[in-house]
Amino acid sequence: MSSNETPGSKAPLGADLVIPALALAFAAYFFVSISDLAWEAKANGMLIGGVLLLLIAAQLARVGLRLWAGTADFGFDRLLRPREALAKRIGMVALTALFIFSMDWLGLTLALFLATVAALVLMGVRKPAQLFWTSFGVAVFAYVMFIVVLDAAFPRGPVEVFIARLLS
Amino acid sequence: MTWDFLLGQFATQFGLWWVIVPGILIGIVVGALPGFSAQNTLIMLLPLTLAVPVPTALAFMIALYCATHLAGGIPAILVKIPGTGGAAATTIDGYPMTQKGQAQQALVLCFTASVFGGLISTLVTIGLLPWLSKIGLYLRSVEMVVVMLFGLTLIAVVAAKDLLKGLIAGFFGLLIGVIGTDHIYNTPRATFGFLELYDGVPLVPALIGLFAISEALVMIESKLIVSKEGQGRASHAHWADTVEGLRMAASRWWHIVWTSFVGLFIGIVPGAGASIAAFVAYQQSRMWSKHPQRYGTGIPEGVIAPESANNGVTSGTLVPMMALGVPGGSTAAVMMIVLQYHGMVMGPRLFDTHPEIAYGVFISMAVAYIFMIFTILPLARYMSRIVLIGTSYLVPVIVLMTIVAAFAGRQYQFDMALALVFGVIGYIAHKTDYHVTAILIGVILGPLFEEYLVRSLRISEGDLAILFSSPTANTLWALLVASLALPLVRAWLKQRAG
Repeated sequence: MSSNETPGSKAPLGADLVIPALALAFAAYFFVSISDLAWEAKANGMLIGGVLLLLIAAQLARVGLRLWAGTADFGFDRLLRPREALAKRIGMVALTALFIFSMDWLGLTLALFLATVAALVLMGVRKPAQLFWTSFGVAVFAYVMFIVVLDAAFPRGPVEVFIARLLS
Repeated sequence: MTWDFLLGQFATQFGLWWVIVPGILIGIVVGALPGFSAQNTLIMLLPLTLAVPVPTALAFMIALYCATHLAGGIPAILVKIPGTGGAAATTIDGYPMTQKGQAQQALVLCFTASVFGGLISTLVTIGLLPWLSKIGLYLRSVEMVVVMLFGLTLIAVVAAKDLLKGLIAGFFGLLIGVIGTDHIYNTPRATFGFLELYDGVPLVPALIGLFAISEALVMIESKLIVSKEGQGRASHAHWADTVEGLRMAASRWWHIVWTSFVGLFIGIVPGAGASIAAFVAYQQSRMWSKHPQRYGTGIPEGVIAPESANNGVTSGTLVPMMALGVPGGSTAAVMMIVLQYHGMVMGPRLFDTHPEIAYGVFISMAVAYIFMIFTILPLARYMSRIVLIGTSYLVPVIVLMTIVAAFAGRQYQFDMALALVFGVIGYIAHKTDYHVTAILIGVILGPLFEEYLVRSLRISEGDLAILFSSPTANTLWALLVASLALPLVRAWLKQRAG
C-alpha cells in the first residue's frame, strides 16, 4: 500500500503506468530505428530494451493483479494532487515553453524579464515592487553572465541591440 | 624527489595565493551553476592563462578546477539541483538533510569531505605517482565494463523501496543514454530526426530537467522547501551548526579516506569521471554500511561518500596527463594545451626535465584545497539561509534560470526544450516513485557502458568470454559479486540471530 492510500480506498494506479507507457513507446521506437543497423550498433540497445520490456510486463502484471483483486483503479490522483497546485504547475510548464520560443523575437533579456514577471504572478506574488525588482535582477544577472561574460549565442533582441549601440 | 624540493614547492605555491583565491571563488560560482563547467571557463580564460608564467597559470587553473568539483554539491544540497554531474549522488542524502533543517551541517560535510577527500588523494598521488600512472594501463575496456557495472548497481540500491519501479526507471534511463550515433559506424539511433541528438543526450539538460525543473514543479505544493520542524532550525542557524557539521565529518574520517581512494582510482582511468566515481562511492558506502536502510533519508555518510569521491577524482584525472601525456578528462585537456603552449612535453620525461611542473601540479592542488577550506567553510551558515526563501520566488527563478543555463553547454536552443521535456518526465517519475536518480544514472553511465562493452566485444569478435579474460577484470567481478552478496548475507545472519 502506498503512502497515498487510505484503508478501504482503492489505490489510484493509473499514474503508475505513465512512465512504463512512455518507456514502452520509446523502446518500440528505438527497436524500429535500429532494425537495419549492424550488430555492434544495436547489441547494447537490444539488451537494455529487452530487459526494459520484461520489467514493464512485470509492472503491468502487478497492476493488473491489483485491479483484478479490486484494490486499485485507473486513477491519476498521484499526478494531479493537490488540485490547487495543478494550474500553477501546468502554467509554469506552458510559460517556460513560451519563454523558450519567444526568445527568438524578444531576445534573452526581455523574454526572461517578462517570463519572470508572469511566473511570479502565477505563483501568487502581487506586489509591483517585488515583481519588478526580482524580474529585473534575474534579467540583469542573465544578461551580464551569458551575453557580456560568456558571449553565448543567445538570440539578441531589442534590449541587447540597444545596449550594444549605446556602448559602441 | 627530496623533502627540500617538496617543501620548496609548497612554499612557492602558498606564495601564489593571489591567483589561487580568485580561482577558488570563480570555481565556486561556476560549480554551483548548472550548465557551467570548469573546462568551458578555462577555455574562456585561455588568453589569460597563456599570458602568465606556467606555475601561476597552473595554480589558477587547478584552484578553479577543484573548486568546481566542491561547489557542485551546494545547490544539490540546498535545492536538489546538482551543479555538476558529479554532485548528482549528493542530492540523495544532502537534500533530505536540508528538509530536516540541517542544511548548514550538510554543507559543512560536503565542504569537509570534498577538501579532505581531495587533499588525501592528492598527497597519495604525490607519493605514489610513478606507480599510480601504471593503473591506467591495467584498466582497459574489459575492466571498465565491470567498473561501470559497479555504478549501475546503484540503480538497484536507490530503488530499494520498490525494486521493480527503480529498475524500470534505470533501464529507461539506460535506453535514453543509447540515443545518438553508435561508436563504430556513426549511424544515428532513436534521434527523432534531431541533429542535436546525434552526439547523444546532452548531460546538462538531462540533469537540469530531471532534478531542477522536476523538483521545482514539486516545490509548488509547499510554501517553503524545509519541513515545518526544520524551519525553526534553519531560521536559527548558528556557528554551532558549522561546528556540529565538522564534528560529524571528523567522526567519519575513515569514510572520507576510503571514498576518496575510490575517486582517485576511477579518476586515473581516462574518460571515467566524477559522476561515475560519486555513484560508485555512494553505492559502495551503502553496501558496506551497517544501516543501509537509512541511506536516502539524510545521513552524513550519504553526503560524504559522493563528495569525497568526486574530489578524489581531481588528482586522479591529472595522473595520466602528467605521466603518459593522455588527458584524463576535458579539463585536463585544456590544461595540457596551456602546458604545451609553454613548451612542456607531457609524459614520463617531464619528471626529469621539469619536476617542478610534474609534481608542482599536485602540490598546487594540495595548497588549493587548504585555501579552499578556509575560504568556503564560513560561508555555509549564510548559504543555508536560502532554504528560507519562499517557493513563490524560488520556483520561477529556478525554472527560468536553469532553463537558460541548459543553453550554456552546447549553445543550442533545442537543449532548453529538452530540459523542459526531461523536467516533465522527472516530475511524473518523482510523483509516482520511479526515482529520477535511477533515470539519471542510466543516462550518464549508459553511453559509457556501451562504449566499453562494444570496444571489448570488437576485440573478441563478439565473444562475451573476453569480459572474464584478465586477472584484473576477474578480481573486479569477484568484488562486484561480493559487494552485492554482502547485504544479503548480512540480512540472513541478522534474521538467523534475531
